[in-house]
Amino acid sequence: MAGSTALETEAAPLERAPAIGRVSDPRRASWLVLVVFLAPALVIYLGLTAYPAFRTIFDSLFTIEGSERSYVGLANYRDLLGDETFWIAVRNTFVWAFVAPILDVATGLLLALALYAGIPFSRFFRVAWFTPVLLSYVVVAILWMWIYNYDWGVVNEGLRAAGLDALTRSWLGDPNTALAALIVTHAWKWAGFNMVVCLAAIHALPSEVLEAAELDNCGWGAKLRYVIVPMLRPTLLNLYVLAFIGKMKVFDLVWIMTGGGPLWATETVSTYVYKRAFNWNTFDLGYPSAIATVWFGVVCAAVIVLNRVFKSRDRLEY
Amino acid sequence: MRSAGTGMAAVFAWSLLAAGTAAAAEPVQITMWSNWPDEPAKKDWVAARVRDFEAANKQCAVKLSFIPKADIYTQAKSAVRTGQAPDVFYLEPDQPEFLTGGFLEPLDGHVDLAKLEDWAKPAWTYKGKVYGLPVEAYTVELYYNKDLVKKVGVEVPPSFQLTQSGFADLVRKGAAAGITPVSQGVGDRPFPGGLLLFESLLRKLGTEDYGKLLNGNLSFKDPRVVEVMTWLKGLVDAGAYPKSFATLKLGESHYYFYQKPGSLTFPDPSWFTGRAFASPESGGMPTSFPLGIMQFPSMDEGKCPTCKTLAVAGSFVMYARGKNKACAGALLESMATVGNGDKWTEQVSLQTGLKSDPSKINSSHADYFAELNARNTGATYFFGTPLMYYRGKCAETYTQVINNALPAGLIGVGEAADKMDAACRKGS
Repeated sequence: MAGSTALETEAAPLERAPAIGRVSDPRRASWLVLVVFLAPALVIYLGLTAYPAFRTIFDSLFTIEGSERSYVGLANYRDLLGDETFWIAVRNTFVWAFVAPILDVATGLLLALALYAGIPFSRFFRVAWFTPVLLSYVVVAILWMWIYNYDWGVVNEGLRAAGLDALTRSWLGDPNTALAALIVTHAWKWAGFNMVVCLAAIHALPSEVLEAAELDNCGWGAKLRYVIVPMLRPTLLNLYVLAFIGKMKVFDLVWIMTGGGPLWATETVSTYVYKRAFNWNTFDLGYPSAIATVWFGVVCAAVIVLNRVFKSRDRLEY
Repeated sequence: MRSAGTGMAAVFAWSLLAAGTAAAAEPVQITMWSNWPDEPAKKDWVAARVRDFEAANKQCAVKLSFIPKADIYTQAKSAVRTGQAPDVFYLEPDQPEFLTGGFLEPLDGHVDLAKLEDWAKPAWTYKGKVYGLPVEAYTVELYYNKDLVKKVGVEVPPSFQLTQSGFADLVRKGAAAGITPVSQGVGDRPFPGGLLLFESLLRKLGTEDYGKLLNGNLSFKDPRVVEVMTWLKGLVDAGAYPKSFATLKLGESHYYFYQKPGSLTFPDPSWFTGRAFASPESGGMPTSFPLGIMQFPSMDEGKCPTCKTLAVAGSFVMYARGKNKACAGALLESMATVGNGDKWTEQVSLQTGLKSDPSKINSSHADYFAELNARNTGATYFFGTPLMYYRGKCAETYTQVINNALPAGLIGVGEAADKMDAACRKGS
């Protein structure tokens, strides 16, 4: 034994390994270890995500008055079909979710390209354009309510200064412009986030391809259209899907700036759920739970559909 | 060893005794949520009542928080369900779901109800019991700037009530002079935009039919209702309201009336004083402001020109599942005195549902209060505002259509009447 080599000493346990079985495999943890490590996250997930979700679905089958609940089956869902305000909210939310992300992503891409092209003071602009992302919705909402103010807001003052008095209006008080005004505000807040992601993606593009395009005398416009945007497509689509999901749940900005008005022109599904749950002179959580359940399904379905539609069949290789 | 054990037992027993004594000396703490964080006079009144109560009841301590009304409602609606609501909290009668849900404690066993005004009790009466302490009461008034009204060439008659056409004339003259005729904004409230219309409807219909309208038993297409709505639409088209009407907040509409840019009139409940009598530096009314109070205009062939809305607003209620009802009830009982009613009127210059003794009220705003009393002498009161009657979809439609779209000129009379009937008319 004294004369055994190190190699022999190390080989011995390996030979015994099959007898000990899975426990000795260093890549596999015991059940106890698994439970200890997974339990905290699982408890939080089950308690704060899964249970509330299932409870919401369960509550949607009841009418809850005070501390009493009565089973109503699918009656809340039937009522939902004939609820005019709900359908207005659905329409507005779809406008938000499908149109606003285009504006968000396009703005972010343009800002990223501006920085990539090396505009003057680009370091300053990088920080300035990203700053709105750091602001809370409350601050953004108040800021833009001032900007849109009829009497002294920047927008109307600018129009008056340009001699375009006829175009001045109460941007948030007019049903024709209120939703668009909110979408612009939202795009302003999130453009910086999209800019940072796009900028990182642009910098990650292979320089050989861009240089080859330049050698071929490809101008900025053509390079953008035929080289950069196609190669950024996966990033842009992911940003679009992310923005889509966020906008399907939009609440804060709408609640603070318009409360869903005027004439329900900016009502979204989230603000309507909140109104039905807390502003409807009732403690009934059954009906708002039914709206939330339906919308949960719609968001999930929409994300699946978008992912399928956007799934790239031809992978870019470079 | 034995003596050591005895010693340990003695120390343990002493510790228990000390802890028990400490617990006995520790006052019972109750929590109280009050509105009015931004209305100094009301806030001071509540804080003083709590201080007085704690001084006279050493066994009770009050953890008092001032929270904006909307936040109180949102938080209370979650908290009452989970047993975590404060022992005493602010509520207004337009939140009846707390009553019907069984979350409020009847005050009958805690407060001497004889100390409340008889007209105020119905606002909080449910199944024969009274559930709220009606601290704040109000009438709906039409404030005006005496100088500006005179400047545009309108003479307010000795009755302080313009006719329907006289008020329309005031609006036209104000608009022509570049002065906003009616300061009003609905940026953060669901009711101000409906004040002028519904006070006019009350005077046109009289209390009985007006009550039917609010209870969904009279159509908004009733010719009398349509006539008043058409008159109001005429005012809107003539430029009665600020262009920023949809986003102007209640506090800002005060400032708009008595500071910049200034307006001829300001329809507002008489809780006007809460903001107006703050110091001018903090947005209050300048001391030299030529404030007047006129009656809302009389309607042509109106059934009740002297009618006026009277209502209860800020009140305090007890949580039914509160663990310290003795202290909570004692607190409300201590607030419900004639002396405290007098102090409310003196400090806030606003009516109260607590009994008070007008002869003992000595207010620095005595002139204002005399004028308010004069405008209310001989009035025929209708109890409650539209939002105390309207619920759910009807209330939401009122907020969107009557409060906002109609006075903002976004919608016609016919469409507004259709929407209100669809949402509020019984059997529709």
